[in-house]
Amino acid sequence: MPVSVGSICQISVPIASKAQGHFGTNKSMSRWRQRSTVIRCYNRRAEGRVRAGKNYYDLLGVSVESNAQEIKEAYRKLQKKYHPDIAGQEGHEHTLMLNEAYKVLMKEDLRRQYDASIDQMRVRNGTTYSGLAYSAWKGPLRPQALFVDENACIGCGQCVHHACNTFIMDEALACARVKVQYGDDEQKIEVSVESCPVNCIHWVDREELPALEFLIQPQPKEGYGIFGGGWERPANVFMAAKSFTKKLKQQDAMEHHQTRTTREEETPAQAEARANASRKLEEERLSRIWNWMKEIFSSNMLSRD
Amino acid sequence: MAEPAYTVASDSETTGEEKSSSAFPEIAIGIDVGTSKCSVAVWNGSEVELLKNTRNQKMMRSYVTFKDDIPSGGVSNQLSHEHEMLSGAAIFNMKRLIGRVDTDPVVHSSKSLPFLVQTLDIGVRPFIAALVNNVWRSTTPEEVLAIFLVELKAMAEVQLKRAIRNVVLTIPVSFSRFQVTRIERACAMAGLHVLRLMPEPTAVALLYAQQQQQDVHENIGGGSEKIALIFNMGAGYCDVAVTATAGGVSQIKALAGSTIGGEDILQNMMHHLLPDSEILFSNHGINEIKSMGLLRVATQDAIYKLSSQNSVQIDVDLGNELKICKVVDREEFEEVNRKVFEKCESLIIQCLHDAKVETKDVTDIIAVGGCSYIPKIRNLVMSICKRQELYKGMNPLEAAVCGAALEGAVASGISDPFGSLDLLTIQVTPLAIGIRVEENNFVPIIPRNTTMPTRKELAFTTVRDNQTEVLIVVYEGEGEKVGKNHLLGYIKIMGIPPAPKGVPEINVCMDIDASNVLRVLAGVVLPGSRHPAIPVMEVRMPTVDDGHGWCAEALDRTYGSALDLVTVQKKI
Repeated sequence: MPVSVGSICQISVPIASKAQGHFGTNKSMSRWRQRSTVIRCYNRRAEGRVRAGKNYYDLLGVSVESNAQEIKEAYRKLQKKYHPDIAGQEGHEHTLMLNEAYKVLMKEDLRRQYDASIDQMRVRNGTTYSGLAYSAWKGPLRPQALFVDENACIGCGQCVHHACNTFIMDEALACARVKVQYGDDEQKIEVSVESCPVNCIHWVDREELPALEFLIQPQPKEGYGIFGGGWERPANVFMAAKSFTKKLKQQDAMEHHQTRTTREEETPAQAEARANASRKLEEERLSRIWNWMKEIFSSNMLSRD
Repeated sequence: MAEPAYTVASDSETTGEEKSSSAFPEIAIGIDVGTSKCSVAVWNGSEVELLKNTRNQKMMRSYVTFKDDIPSGGVSNQLSHEHEMLSGAAIFNMKRLIGRVDTDPVVHSSKSLPFLVQTLDIGVRPFIAALVNNVWRSTTPEEVLAIFLVELKAMAEVQLKRAIRNVVLTIPVSFSRFQVTRIERACAMAGLHVLRLMPEPTAVALLYAQQQQQDVHENIGGGSEKIALIFNMGAGYCDVAVTATAGGVSQIKALAGSTIGGEDILQNMMHHLLPDSEILFSNHGINEIKSMGLLRVATQDAIYKLSSQNSVQIDVDLGNELKICKVVDREEFEEVNRKVFEKCESLIIQCLHDAKVETKDVTDIIAVGGCSYIPKIRNLVMSICKRQELYKGMNPLEAAVCGAALEGAVASGISDPFGSLDLLTIQVTPLAIGIRVEENNFVPIIPRNTTMPTRKELAFTTVRDNQTEVLIVVYEGEGEKVGKNHLLGYIKIMGIPPAPKGVPEINVCMDIDASNVLRVLAGVVLPGSRHPAIPVMEVRMPTVDDGHGWCAEALDRTYGSALDLVTVQKKI
């Protein structure tokens, strides 16, 4: 079932990369661990397809609408760059992914299945803006919130070291992120902000936070990308957030103007259910690394709304 | 056995890929060791150049004579007469014998060769010996090949004025991984490091890709994808490949291969001319060897002539009042070898089918190898593909070695300012690799014609309650029962936590890298856990290194089905 594939594969990625980090000294061993942990996580049928955690279209640098010819050309071009005959043994892992992507996208039925599975993934990934922030709050809402500009973050882990209840490392992207606003006491947070060597931790207005946190997430790039640019995010997230909120407001105004949309007819109970659901998904996504944080989560869940 | 004339530089058959790290990478030379002839080529900086021996030959006979106790091969040695090679002192056709056990029909058909091939028919190595001063001196195909390679190496070193270490060798498609290790072994004995082993038609495909690339450079445009069918038939093997080529990348779509070749055609003809020849020559007396040699040479001559003329007169005195005087015409020749040609046809059809290519989509048909001169072969290749002519841009005897030399340059990291080396072959696995499950069934994990490098895995489980041990037996081949396939090795997993049958999940993962190294990993995972219950096993295969038939039987006898596995239902 594509639905389960989509949701579950997200879990597997951070775990896998974490394992890689821990056992990085022994390449093949870590490779196995990565594989074996992943195996348990999801439907076996989907195994090969979502293993990489990377969109096959991005991997090959082709658009979702591209035809077989374009895929073939892109595949060959990339093979010429990454095939172990040319790139040496380092190209092995990448070529494996290219081969897998090529195999799936060249077979009509497999491609259809895969397309269905990434559609699900995209929704979960938060490509659609929910208007809710990703980070949770501990204690009462405050006017200011913490935000890590992941473009600037070098992944040094200082902030996590000083305020481990507030920041986490995203192992897959190798950068820090705010998980719980005010998860630690103010002094700790102060130290962690100070300790950042690149000053990428910002105090922002609470209202700006959802847009910023949404935009800083790497989005799978559609269209004719060059390989490597498969994931993108705005270079200046603050500017992007401004124009993004402006656009949203305009859209809202339009909707107001024309018809009363279903969204506005949503009852408070529905809204809460929706918020809870998205919170739950969020939780699930990192629950394996963050099992111990669950209590904090649940205690804070309602305080957000 | 006398002291070998070569030194064993490396005994480790399975040394890993070591890309030379020096600033000036050594260009690997390409070697095509054919069943009957051999050639060496190298990228000289601007093009592929075939090396010639001191007698100005590009194609050298593949044999080693053991006359006077000092072996000498066809590279340097000058035969005073063709019959000298057939006196019993020379070993040839080693490519057909290497890595085969004495139950193999190919070994049996080699019994009518002038040197001694003895079999016990129990699945051990055949006894192979050369007649030296009236003594049958035993040797092995690996040794013969190594001696030959030492000569080739010396010849190349003199001409290129540098030490040669890295080589790209061509091998038949139908070679099992066990046979491949034997080739690697022979290379190691000769002090050569195998950078790549290329199935012969894929080497041809690479040469084709380069030629297409050059055509594109010369006249702008027309750089679209081209599909070629490559048919390669030499003295020992017949291989077919379908390749899709564009922009210098040759993407192999499918491979098919079999152990039929010119040698079979020759033996069929010998049998036709002298029906009881096998019985007559079976005891390998000096006189019989001589007669056999005479018959062989006469038949070979006749076959060559039949390629250009419609009938041939065979007139040979075999001694012992045995004379053959016969006119053979082409039709008769084709009828005698009907089975061989039928097999060729079925290989081509199978390969096209596996590649999912229609004959109308094939751009070029390339026929190479010694047998491609036989009119019947050319006709059958053309008629299957519904074409009037074959691709003309290649020398049928040199195509494979040229491709190997190109691959040698590419894999050594050489680039060419004019883009002549802007090439790549994307290989596929010629045979399926899988493991044994309950009741001797074979479950492929990596199917045939899978693009390399590749990594696949399947989950298996136990068949008995509280089964704490399983034996993962890895095979290669196409048979549905393991008995028909080649044993590559086994992994015994012990210490599986006791659990009802079907509960522990045994994951078997296979990884083949671009240099065709196979690693098999096996791990046990219990439900509810995300980590392997016991340390994962990783084994490079093949590990079995003697008469593999025996080993499989011994495994079966000792363990039977007690350590069996079954596939988890949710098979892909």
